[in-house]
Amino acid sequence: MYVGAPVKRLEDRRFLTGRGSFVDDIVLPGTVQAIFVRSPHPHAKIKQINSDRASKVPGVLGIYTGKDCEEAGLGRFVVWSPVHSRDNVARPEETQFMLALGKVLYVGEPVVLVVAETKYAALTAADEVEIDYEPLPFITDTSKALDDDVPVIHDSMESNLVFDIDMGDKAATEAAFSAAAHVTEITLTNNRITANPMEPRAILASYDPASDGFTLWVSHQAPHMLKRDLAQNTLKHPEHKIRVVSPDVGGGFGMKVANHPEEPLLLWASRRVGRPVRWTSTRSEGLIADSQARDHWTKCKMALDENGKILAISADTLAGLGAFQTRMGASIPAHFYSRSLIGLYKMPTAYCRVRGVHTNTPPIQAYRGAGRPEAIYVLESLVDNAAVEMGIDLREIRRRNFILKEEFPYKVPFGITYDTADPIGLLDKGADLFGYDQLREKQKAMRSEGGLQLGIGVACFIDCVGTPSKVAAAMGRKIVGGWDSAAIRILPSGKITVLAGSHSHGQGHATSYAQIAADWLGCPIDTIDVVEGDTDRVQFGHGTWGSRSTITSGIAVAKAAQQLQLKCRKIAAHMLECSDDDVTVENGVFHIPGTDRNVTLEDVAQMAYQGGNLPPGMEPSLEQLSFHDPADRSFASGIHYCAVLVDPQTGRVKVHKYTVIDDCGTIINPIIIKGQAHGGIAQGVGQALMEDCTFDHASGQPLSGTFMDYAMPRAIDFPPFDVGVQETPAPSNPLGVKGAGESGTIGALAAVRNAVVDALRPQGIKHIDMPMTPARVWAAIEAAKTK
Amino acid sequence: MQTEEFTQEVELNINGQTHRRVVDTRTLLVDFIRREIGLTGTHVGCDTTQCGACTIHLNGIAVKSCTVFAAQASGSTVRTIEGLSVGETLHPVQQAFHDHHGLQCGYCTPGMVMMSIDIINRETDLTDEVVRHNLEGNLCRCTGYHNIVKAIQAVGEVMRKTPAAE
Repeated sequence: MYVGAPVKRLEDRRFLTGRGSFVDDIVLPGTVQAIFVRSPHPHAKIKQINSDRASKVPGVLGIYTGKDCEEAGLGRFVVWSPVHSRDNVARPEETQFMLALGKVLYVGEPVVLVVAETKYAALTAADEVEIDYEPLPFITDTSKALDDDVPVIHDSMESNLVFDIDMGDKAATEAAFSAAAHVTEITLTNNRITANPMEPRAILASYDPASDGFTLWVSHQAPHMLKRDLAQNTLKHPEHKIRVVSPDVGGGFGMKVANHPEEPLLLWASRRVGRPVRWTSTRSEGLIADSQARDHWTKCKMALDENGKILAISADTLAGLGAFQTRMGASIPAHFYSRSLIGLYKMPTAYCRVRGVHTNTPPIQAYRGAGRPEAIYVLESLVDNAAVEMGIDLREIRRRNFILKEEFPYKVPFGITYDTADPIGLLDKGADLFGYDQLREKQKAMRSEGGLQLGIGVACFIDCVGTPSKVAAAMGRKIVGGWDSAAIRILPSGKITVLAGSHSHGQGHATSYAQIAADWLGCPIDTIDVVEGDTDRVQFGHGTWGSRSTITSGIAVAKAAQQLQLKCRKIAAHMLECSDDDVTVENGVFHIPGTDRNVTLEDVAQMAYQGGNLPPGMEPSLEQLSFHDPADRSFASGIHYCAVLVDPQTGRVKVHKYTVIDDCGTIINPIIIKGQAHGGIAQGVGQALMEDCTFDHASGQPLSGTFMDYAMPRAIDFPPFDVGVQETPAPSNPLGVKGAGESGTIGALAAVRNAVVDALRPQGIKHIDMPMTPARVWAAIEAAKTK
Repeated sequence: MQTEEFTQEVELNINGQTHRRVVDTRTLLVDFIRREIGLTGTHVGCDTTQCGACTIHLNGIAVKSCTVFAAQASGSTVRTIEGLSVGETLHPVQQAFHDHHGLQCGYCTPGMVMMSIDIINRETDLTDEVVRHNLEGNLCRCTGYHNIVKAIQAVGEVMRKTPAAE
């Protein structure tokens, strides 16, 4: 049995020996270089672009503007997941064009594309491009985007408001607050950040005139969806003449599932210049050119009765969307965030209002958790604050409010039914592993000593994973379904290839899918190769994001393997002249139990491909393409316990201990699951303590322009993590799996925030906004002193 | 506008082989390794010397190859990730990263491995504090560093007992 076992990763060798195939590693003869000239203004009219001097630089092959692209008939991005406002007003969906047309709307927006023989020629030419801008009034501060006197950034719109939705029962919630024994309120932000995978975005585009075919090598999480968008919306080229290959991807975290303008642009340029064209983002370029994330401003409150039982939660959120609407950017705060505000608690009613707004900043798209870290941050900050205000232990308030294991499936006020979980199990296992009581003792001792202060924070969550296609359709989603695929091909030699529609960018599918296939086929794992990411090899898939891969492609692997095993057993039975039921398979050998009669998988495969002696009516070869569309959503859950040490004199925060209990249903590979938790925790801590896309609102300029300004978490910022697991299988799929990839970030923001606030409670601190840098923590301490 | 090209001949011994090329003087050592020699295992992850994905050994010491001009390094010995394993046998550090799941996407891995060897060469006491401090120049976005630290600690002992290992 491979499923459930700690199988070491099958794909490691190439990465360890420097033989990974990342896009910038790929070499095509005759490749030329692309460099972008990007807007230095947050908002400006483009009066004139003069490329005369630039075009004279030796080695320049082409200089292109938005007008060139428009004349060539390129299209715009399309919103795939529309959000309908509660006032039923249909507001313009302003999406980005490949290169700025008429005006620029954020610092970093691509304006001119320069293609030259070498990188240095392109850089020199880019410097020579002369652009005459007329700066316009701008707005970069999300919290002010709907104020009366601020610039409206799109000429087609009356205000910067993109959508205005609400969810839940407003009247019942207001009544609950009126009747409450206690109300906890917080005003908080969820700071704008950027994914910063270690591999910057990279593209290699080529065109073959003989076949009129484009090939795009791109570091991307969802190649088939990108191909569809290119064919249908942006490049507008016949779909069967486009190939998208995403080879090894050096981290994505949701940012690389977004559609960016460089993708269609480089393909178009490769046809124009008749050479393959390469563009690899620099890090400073990525910090303004990549899609960004989060950016919420929220007023929230929680109503409780005298026993600390939650009566309602209410949140009013302003969500920054950046300068343009994107594929799914608006649905992150509108749908994913809003419906996740209830968490693991039994509360009779809830209400949430979300407004999405444009600002002159890079567009917002998905980043690990996409809306759910934002929701749990609101919910769990309220719960910890409420507990302290009411004098109830952090675990006790949760114990009083949790949905009990036996009460699942459980329907919550926003209309969603959770499948399975054991919240009290998480709570107690976590407290034990964390050493909660001992740490409280330590906190007490340190408080009486002065100096460094210990703080403890808790955050728990439940996460909806795997939207069925019919639900996606009902939500108005275009292009994006909820299913995914796996094809298994057994070759004449008995070797096996699995082709999956998901796309690993570090999650280890080559191993976990091989484990599933091996178990369900009944063969050894070392004969199985997993292929993802090439639209010419894999029929179709939705890629990897939203913790969805195992629950869709993984199950499709099991289904395909099951079908193939059946076919192989039939062939084996035919060869062994017995009935199908008499044959079992183990370790690649088909045998009749109780006898020594057997045939190997290789024997069966040879027979299948020769085709002359098969059971009546059976077609030759051994290949099965299967699909899985989740019958229903499934719900992963978890709890985070965090202890921090805060120096009140400097504001410096150090994570002292970090414990997680993760429930992702049935575990395929525990090593991989824990690794995913580690990475997610690190990203959550990074946002909570140091990361930030900082804008100077007076000038509209981004300040976090390099890794010297955008703080990235390092090894020294963390202790070792303690990750325990709990398995409450999902009833809606045959493997019982849920999702695991995003759980680490979903709980971490609130856990860290709660711990820091807990450390500084004696100083009168009730909240500090992220990132809780030393300067900001120190300032909060000083401010509390003067109160 | 610069229309002249400034070039220089660079000679480097990389993984035991000598290479001689004439390159633009602006060529970084990492670009020389990746583009001129075709060894793409050394990666570029930033442009301000923060991330460490480009870490190689220059005359036996861990160095960020994005912060050295190829011309500056001319005459030196370079070892890259491709020069670590002997045939099919992985270097103990590579093996340890595999055994302890110290990599996910693999992009930071070459730099991490080269730096880890340097840490083990220099530090005698591989405590959590020491290892994590020494990794300050190497960013990883996937692993949270937990398993990387474990791998380094596990292999430290092994390497000290095996003098032939680098």
